[in-house]
Amino acid sequence: MIEVRHLEKTFPGTRGLLGHDAIKAVNDVSFHIPDGGAVSFIGESGCGKTTIGRILAGLETYTAGEVVMDGQNLAQLPRRQRAVLLRRVQLIQQDPYQALNPARTIEQALTDPLKVIAKERGADKAWIMHRLHEVLELVGLDPDAVIYKYPHMLSGGQRQRIVIARALTVDPSVLVADEAVSMIDVSLRLGVLKLLRDLRERFKISVLFITHDVASARYVGDDGQMFVIYKGRIVEHGLTDEVILHPQHPYTQALLSAVPVLKGLEEPGPDRYIPLKEFGHGQPPEHACAFAPRCPYAQPLCGQEKPELVGTAHQYACHYPKERHVVAVPLSE
Amino acid sequence: MSANSLPTAPPAAGITIRGLEVVYTTGQGQIPAVNGINLDIVGGQITGIIGESGSGKSTLAMAMMNAVPHPGKIVKGSVIIDGVGNMMTLDKESQRRARGRHVGFVFQAAQNSLNPLTRIGHQVLDLGRSHNVKDLRALLRRAKELLERMGMDADRVLTSYQHELSGGMRQRVGIMFALVLDAQIVILDEPTTALDMLSQASVLEIVRSIQEERGLTIILITHDMGVVADLADRVIVMYGGELAEEGKTEDVLAHPQHPYTRGLIRAIPRISGNLDQAVALAGSPPDLQTFVQNACLFYDRCPERMAQCQNHRPPYEIAGPGRKVACFKVMAK
Ligand SMILES: Nc1ncnc2c1ncn2[C@@H]1O[C@H](COP(=O)(O)OP(=O)(O)OP(=O)(O)O)[C@@H](O)[C@H]1O
Ligand SMILES: Nc1ncnc2c1ncn2[C@@H]1O[C@H](COP(=O)(O)OP(=O)(O)OP(=O)(O)O)[C@@H](O)[C@H]1O
Ligand code: SF4
Ligand SMILES: [Mg+2]
Ligand SMILES: [Mg+2]
Repeated sequence: MIEVRHLEKTFPGTRGLLGHDAIKAVNDVSFHIPDGGAVSFIGESGCGKTTIGRILAGLETYTAGEVVMDGQNLAQLPRRQRAVLLRRVQLIQQDPYQALNPARTIEQALTDPLKVIAKERGADKAWIMHRLHEVLELVGLDPDAVIYKYPHMLSGGQRQRIVIARALTVDPSVLVADEAVSMIDVSLRLGVLKLLRDLRERFKISVLFITHDVASARYVGDDGQMFVIYKGRIVEHGLTDEVILHPQHPYTQALLSAVPVLKGLEEPGPDRYIPLKEFGHGQPPEHACAFAPRCPYAQPLCGQEKPELVGTAHQYACHYPKERHVVAVPLSE
Repeated sequence: MSANSLPTAPPAAGITIRGLEVVYTTGQGQIPAVNGINLDIVGGQITGIIGESGSGKSTLAMAMMNAVPHPGKIVKGSVIIDGVGNMMTLDKESQRRARGRHVGFVFQAAQNSLNPLTRIGHQVLDLGRSHNVKDLRALLRRAKELLERMGMDADRVLTSYQHELSGGMRQRVGIMFALVLDAQIVILDEPTTALDMLSQASVLEIVRSIQEERGLTIILITHDMGVVADLADRVIVMYGGELAEEGKTEDVLAHPQHPYTRGLIRAIPRISGNLDQAVALAGSPPDLQTFVQNACLFYDRCPERMAQCQNHRPPYEIAGPGRKVACFKVMAK
């Protein structure tokens, strides 16, 4: 199990026209992922999703809070021990093209990490080949058909499977999938989503799924928790289907409204609304709801006081929470 | 007042495409990127062209403007734009004037095609000059109105360089350029691909409302069936450089006929309904080998193939009111 408590990350300010003061990219974020469980983080570009994922994978420092793995606070561990734990957290990024060296075959790309492990375990070459075939089969690829290929000879979906196979070589306990399907052709996305779900069940791997697309989050973890973040803060969270079917926060409702409606099969939810304004950059004021400038339901109080998370299992931070029907409704034949 | 007594607006311009063939000559061979396409783009509507990566959507769009880049070549066919003429036989200067004035376009990856060194406002003036616009002030005013209409701070955008804008802002600026000369036909190639869900929804909302306001003819190209299903009046499905199916959006979504279209629709991750109903599309996209076979282009991946499909390409034929399909199985019914 991996747990994060009151995580905070402040980046120093930047200069230039879009420059801004120091920005709290992650602000008081707490969650935990049980073994084999899934947690999804959804929110639009710039809300801090990647930063959370990179912190979990040990690639980014944090300014406050704790990351706890198997009961051990990572910050308090000696460097070596921390590195060993962190290796079991594997990051899968958005762009499978960039993640793979174009000059190396799939076999080379996968045997590199396997050699390291073989050395540690005193395993031989046969073990490496066996494991190579195993991980490729796990991700749904025919080893004989792909090991001699270079990345450019594969489709986007196949490439992302290779990246996942490479992550699996080290027997990870946590996969952080950061927009892992957004660069893949839509027709191929579902297969990769199902694979992630499968890995949870078969190997008790925990998945942190980061996306701006609510629907894909549902495919990886409809049984897990969904966190909606806005400007570094959690604005709503709960069981995935609970958040999708009974959203309370206007921002969650905007994200759900943004899912395309399939004309001919569905009609838009009666309360669907899409804010045309993009969110401004920079740090929101401490004493206001960060979403207030874009919120169609904002009242004077929203500009004066920051709403805190309320509720029990399903929580939301809004002065005027209200369930609205924004999700598309299936047409009955 | 009955519908017939309303004053009838002049019919919006459409496009008639006949026998269009575009080939790329590469080291590996000839790629028939657009292979004998016959298509009528109806005026005053949004036509969505959907297909997976490499299916020839962008090539078709560029061919409509007679602007296919090297090493591509239009080998055959005609593209007749109402009010302009045949783009294949018009003189170069008339073609140039048609692009921008009659047909506005935002080519794929428009982010990069905005000039990085010139402020957006100056680019508007340059565009006006190259089309001999007399009243440049009025042109700037129109640019401003369009930007504000799209929820942007127009003064700030006009004095910005492209790198100072977010992806969603750049797409809106692209749309402004496509509309500012009052084109009646607008081609948008993957206008939302790099955007997060919320930016995508707002860009689509903008396209929808401007289209309604002005009765434009819009061609929307995307690999995302959801985007087309939400926005388009008609859907055209491309596969391997040919047309697989077309029809009214509601009809195609509710009753897809081509096995490929059915696969695409089943593969869309949804936010409601049974998770197991979604099925990933099997197989991989057509390659050079596929093109030289006589078989139906979808043969290798088709769950419903018959003996006949292996030896002939199915013709693209009428399959109901406003519907066309290229599939032997459908025709046999
Ligand atoms: N290295 C950095 N230095 C300064 N600011 C940063 C840095 N990395 C991220 N930020 C800022 O932190 C905020 C959160 O960024 P982050 O990349 O985590 O967002 P995101 O939700 O992953 O966005 P996207 O969907 O675009 O990937 C943004 O305002 C971003 O500009
Ligand atoms: N400049 C080029 N040189 C060689 N082949 C090309 C070139 N541009 C496109 N092609 C080939 O032509 C075919 C159609 O490409 P096109 O870009 O039109 O597809 P698309 O449907 O727009 O794909 P995408 O969704 O990736 O944008 C593909 O097989 C592609 O590899
Ligand atoms: S607190 Fe106010 S501004 Fe913020 S989401 Fe709720 S209603 Fe909208
Ligand atoms: Mg990110
Ligand atoms: Mg394209």
